[in-house]
Amino acid sequence: MVSITYRKACVKLTDDVYEPAEDSFLLADATLGYAKEGMKVLEIGTGTGFISAVLQSNLDVDVLATDINPYAVRCACDNGVRTIRADMFSAFKPVQCFDMIVFNPPYLPTLEEDKVPGWLNYAFDGGVDGMRFICMFLENVPLHLRPNGIILLLVSSFTEIEKIKFLMEEAGFESQIVLKEKYFFEELMVFKGILKDKTEKMKSSGNIT
Amino acid sequence: MEILACPLCKGDLVLNVQSKEEDEIITGTLYCEKCNEYYPIDDGIPNMLPPQLRK
Repeated sequence: MVSITYRKACVKLTDDVYEPAEDSFLLADATLGYAKEGMKVLEIGTGTGFISAVLQSNLDVDVLATDINPYAVRCACDNGVRTIRADMFSAFKPVQCFDMIVFNPPYLPTLEEDKVPGWLNYAFDGGVDGMRFICMFLENVPLHLRPNGIILLLVSSFTEIEKIKFLMEEAGFESQIVLKEKYFFEELMVFKGILKDKTEKMKSSGNIT
Repeated sequence: MEILACPLCKGDLVLNVQSKEEDEIITGTLYCEKCNEYYPIDDGIPNMLPPQLRK
């Protein structure tokens, strides 16, 4: 069986599941950089479980992951990651309980004829503009993240960077690009967002005493 | 487990454990009374997809 070892984690790969690549390594580095001991972390679309596995091999954190692909869920579990099969956030109550939520979205602009067969399509297909799952993520993530919690989102130069910044602000995040790397045909970056605490904002403007 | 909700109505779920190893539930179901829908737990993995998405 093929496996990848990265930052103390040994992750087994399997057919029909996205094989960790440059994007996964970059997001794993960012996640390790911002996670702290004791945090409750959720990873959406974990694939092989690579990022979660790297995280829990290096830090004492409470990690939960989801994926829609049954082979990915099995693979991530075999890699020691607590995983449930779910479509994005749909199986969670809207309780703001996570300290950090991490997402390496499918971001390739994909037309009907570009789709790959089977479950693996979920790893690549970002809809016609590549933004479909990024938009869904940003709309829903504030319901599950505690105030001042952190999101880390992998973004490619294939995607409209300015639009992502705008959507993050709209969703109540203070956004910043924290890691960037140029590759042969694209530039990859990690967006960090901190969910602004509305009660604090209201307190400072004098609405709550 | 307490943060899981029915993916259709976001309502509460009733856990039914069939087998357990230490603290981990190996097989069982999560049931939504409102939708009359069961979400299976197999080999320790809850399948929280609505039936039409499970395939």
